[in-house]
Amino acid sequence: MAEAKKLPVMDIGSIIKHQRNRYPVLLIDKIVDLVPGERATGVKCFTYNEWYFPGHFDDEPNVPGFVQIESLVQTFILTFLCKQEYAGMKTNFVSINNIRFKKKIVPGDVLRIEATLKNFKRGIAIGSAESFVDGEPACSAEFVVAVPDILDQFKPKP
Amino acid sequence: MSNLENYVAAFTSTFLVDESVLAKLKYQDIAAWDSVGHMSLMAKLEETFGIEMDIDDIIEFSSFEVGRAILAKYNVNMA
Repeated sequence: MAEAKKLPVMDIGSIIKHQRNRYPVLLIDKIVDLVPGERATGVKCFTYNEWYFPGHFDDEPNVPGFVQIESLVQTFILTFLCKQEYAGMKTNFVSINNIRFKKKIVPGDVLRIEATLKNFKRGIAIGSAESFVDGEPACSAEFVVAVPDILDQFKPKP
Repeated sequence: MSNLENYVAAFTSTFLVDESVLAKLKYQDIAAWDSVGHMSLMAKLEETFGIEMDIDDIIEFSSFEVGRAILAKYNVNMA
């Protein structure tokens, strides 16, 4: 008996509701596993219709590094933006460290992204994410991300 | 290291400034002490002194000198 198809924990509608990235920079398709405040697993399917393939490169289309990093961090931020109190808040990069690109990603590839939130306190999120294509490591990075709406609550008085 | 030395080190390592400017340093005097830098400094101080600061104290923490008085409330004395 075939294994029942696993439904996404967050479909594209739910992703749009919980974070602010939109076309052409919304770079995850669904979340298939989620433990709020701890971890999220996202999926991004790349087709030749992606806007960056004609330019990167016309004779050898592959996913630019910045797109891979954005896919990782967009999965990462949903580890906390999935919570009702933070849903829809904008985020900013504070730092990206230890980036590793291990595999060329081409049209037709499906990227699986596993993100872990190590610490979230007063609007500063610290964690990491790594991605895989067919089980092979593709990209990994460590992130520090700020949530300005929360930071503003802790700013010193002028 | 003394509490004062640790306090100074938290500022210099977080904001990459010289110790000589700290006495008069206030929030937003330098680009590094913005809202993100403020949270980084609070995290560094909490880690260094093993404390957890109240929200009101984080908001009141508006300068190097004011911070010394606030930390005294957590028994971090720098006499």
